[in-house]
Amino acid sequence: MVMGTERLDEATAELLANVAAEDAKRPDEPSLPFGEWVKKNLFSSIPNAFLTIFFSLLTLFAYRQILNFVFSEERRWEGVRVNLRGLFTFSYPASQYHRIWITLGIVLVLSGMSMGLMKSIGRGFSIKRISMWFFSVGLSLVVGILLREPSVLKDADGLARWSFPDGSPITRSETGLLLIRDDEGVSLLAEGESPLLLRESFGSAMSDRGWWWIIAVFALGIGSALWFGFGDMKRRTTFIPAIPLTFGFLGLFISSVWWYQWGHYGRDDAGILISEPDRLVASTTRIPWTILWFVLVLAYVAGRALVRTERAGLTRVLIGFSALLTPFVTYFVILRDPDLDWAHVWSTDIPMALAFMVGGGLIMWILTNPAIGERGRLIATALMGIAVFNWVAAFFGWYAMLQKARISFLLLALAALAAHNFAGDARQRLRSVWGWMGAMVIVHYLATMINTAETVAAPDQFAGGFVVTIYIAVFTMIFSFPLGVILALGRTSRMPLFRVMSTIYIEVVRGIPFITILFFFAVFVEFFLPEGMDLAALASAGIAFTLFSAAYLAENIRGGLQAVRQGQYEASDALGLTTVQRTGFIILPQALRVSIPPLVGAVIATFKETSLLSIVGLTDFLRVANSNIPGQTEFLGVKREGLLFICLIYWIGSYSMSKYSQRLEKQLGVGER
Amino acid sequence: MTNADATIAVNSELAARDDMIISDGVDKWYGDFQALKGVTATIKEKEVVVVLGPSGSGKSTWIRCINRLEQHQNGRIIVDGVELTNDTRNIEKIRSEVGMVFQSFNLFPHLTVRDNITLAPLWVRKKPRGEAEQLAADLLERVGIPEQADKFPGQLSGGQQQRVAIARALAMEPRIMLFDEPTSALDPEMIKEVLDVMKELARSGMTMMVVTHEMGFAREVADRIIFMESGEIVEVGTPEHFFTNPTEDRTKLFLSQIL
Repeated sequence: MVMGTERLDEATAELLANVAAEDAKRPDEPSLPFGEWVKKNLFSSIPNAFLTIFFSLLTLFAYRQILNFVFSEERRWEGVRVNLRGLFTFSYPASQYHRIWITLGIVLVLSGMSMGLMKSIGRGFSIKRISMWFFSVGLSLVVGILLREPSVLKDADGLARWSFPDGSPITRSETGLLLIRDDEGVSLLAEGESPLLLRESFGSAMSDRGWWWIIAVFALGIGSALWFGFGDMKRRTTFIPAIPLTFGFLGLFISSVWWYQWGHYGRDDAGILISEPDRLVASTTRIPWTILWFVLVLAYVAGRALVRTERAGLTRVLIGFSALLTPFVTYFVILRDPDLDWAHVWSTDIPMALAFMVGGGLIMWILTNPAIGERGRLIATALMGIAVFNWVAAFFGWYAMLQKARISFLLLALAALAAHNFAGDARQRLRSVWGWMGAMVIVHYLATMINTAETVAAPDQFAGGFVVTIYIAVFTMIFSFPLGVILALGRTSRMPLFRVMSTIYIEVVRGIPFITILFFFAVFVEFFLPEGMDLAALASAGIAFTLFSAAYLAENIRGGLQAVRQGQYEASDALGLTTVQRTGFIILPQALRVSIPPLVGAVIATFKETSLLSIVGLTDFLRVANSNIPGQTEFLGVKREGLLFICLIYWIGSYSMSKYSQRLEKQLGVGER
Repeated sequence: MTNADATIAVNSELAARDDMIISDGVDKWYGDFQALKGVTATIKEKEVVVVLGPSGSGKSTWIRCINRLEQHQNGRIIVDGVELTNDTRNIEKIRSEVGMVFQSFNLFPHLTVRDNITLAPLWVRKKPRGEAEQLAADLLERVGIPEQADKFPGQLSGGQQQRVAIARALAMEPRIMLFDEPTSALDPEMIKEVLDVMKELARSGMTMMVVTHEMGFAREVADRIIFMESGEIVEVGTPEHFFTNPTEDRTKLFLSQIL
């Protein structure tokens, strides 16, 4: 945990280098010729051949239906295009949009830096694999072009053309309702007859898809250029690092906003629809995206520059902390405009923070002295007594310390109780003091910022769409993880009270459907709050998500705890580690490592479950696509397009998380057992 | 009563000045099964005691009672003048005085060899990091694997792992070392490297209590051999007495089976 992460990375890098060296020495596996490969893998027996054919046909059919759906003339994709901003941020005021860009910038700086600071960035992708990508893209395009049904023929007014079942054309009357057969005058469809939609011929459809052909041939061309350009197997297994490659593709895509006419869609200030397909993307989108790409790349480069220096470890810790703080800072400080009461800040907030920093720091310095022994525990217990009494007194109204002071005092008492675990030499003690002061700065800063009126729109509706989805997901992850750890430790604890309480909590929460909990919180939460306090709907939903998810995380972590062998406990005890030290340094790191796959599974589940927010009245991603867009006058009933679009975004999010966890597993698995 | 008072009280009552471990009528039950039956023995400072006996005879249970990995139900255990009671402070004190080496090594797989060794000196002994790392380097030198400091336990052979485990226990600068079948999980060619380290340790004057099946080690290094069976001490004597001229029939039977 605290120690050794750096050396772990070094050892990992070394090990991976060894693996790579071994790989280079190993002779190539003889690769089968294409025909042989197909025979061996796809047509090895009659049932297998049947399965191969059956599932190929099924896949082709599904592919064709999806293409027909996406490219159908009935689709109104501008419903999604016009509402892109709405989908991601809902009603966030356009004049304040720079705040969104700043938030994204912070996130990208942190992720770019942490990517750059990874000691081992993996082997990346081989030329062989990259050329295979191009082949598969090209091939899918060719198949797609051939499969998709020809377009509908339209008349001069842009209306679809129909025919009678016998093939004679239908002409519309002026009202558009009567079906007229030209030569015989007016007639109608007979009973049971249905008209046919006229489509262009296959040949003209193929030639109409000229641009798609060009892209397909281009992809196949790059694929074969890579394949044959790097002639033999050895050179085809040259590796290109994944991150620069990804940045390159991303850069290529983002640069297209400067040369490809993606079109200009949206609404102007008066709410009038803008739909200009033959234009570049608006400069208010073009410029920020370009800057953000450079920010990401520069952050990565900075990370790589730092990785071999002394500061790498410290920077990693700082990035970790910032990543945990970012959601709160952006939510309460950047996306919202805190309207501070400066008189109160100078007279109360700052002096209080300073007092706790200095006083608490002094107490930490005293209590982390290894020589203090029994007296230290007495002081800590006394502090805890006072801290608890403060809350009791406030509850009964004897005296009321400011809530911020009560919370800080409680934190101080907790830190004091744990202090003896972190005692040591002067450097060690100073570290505890700095840790306390840093924690106080963060707590007081956030508390001050949160407790203010705000100037940007109303509390719940200032953000919506994907932003809400992400915020709830991140909020849940940050809070439910420690809670889950505590519950898991409680459930496996030897102290009966903790064990029973944790077990009851976990079993009760797991026994209630999540939707019920969400509704319960939306309606009942105020009964649990002190008078005069009001939780925003978003906050109460966040709490419901946290409490629910913690119960499941706890069970996952408990599984990990049980995988830690008894010998690890015995060895820690025999060395004289305290329970806190044993849990923090020995048991939890091993248990969490084992629990990574189920934990990531839970995180992905939470990310997707945020779509339930739409049923408790919050405007999340799903609700915008499902209700808001179809409700607009221009796009009445345009629902399928939006739903397909959010499916894609949800999938990209979940899939990247799952990929990241695989990588993490691989990295942490090295050197174990 | 402080620890110091307790120490004096115990010393005057029961113990000679150089008694390191006193086990007085120790009983231990697992449910209905009595694993230890009134085990009484005293181990002096700098003494190397080897505990022999067939499997299931309670020797591991006994040694594990001495640093409270198992809890005894009757009798007294006094380690370096401190009595093992339910008082956590006494347990903490004894554990920091007693090093233990396990049959299955029990190294911490997620920490490097160096971190395995420095963990307890840093956090229990509260040593500065530089000092702890120097100590780790010295101990790895002593057990003969100075070059493995940055590796993970999983990357070492069994013999090397057990030597790291010995170094880890020694890093607490204990006054007593307990060995619970330290070579039983090792391949034959690795047993010697571990035994060599233990012999060196014995020669340096460490008080040691060793549960083992290595008769050669017992004969060469032990000051005394304690033979246990069915939770009782059957015979105590010097290696010479034990291997050449045992008095008890049960000892003779055991030796005839094993030699």
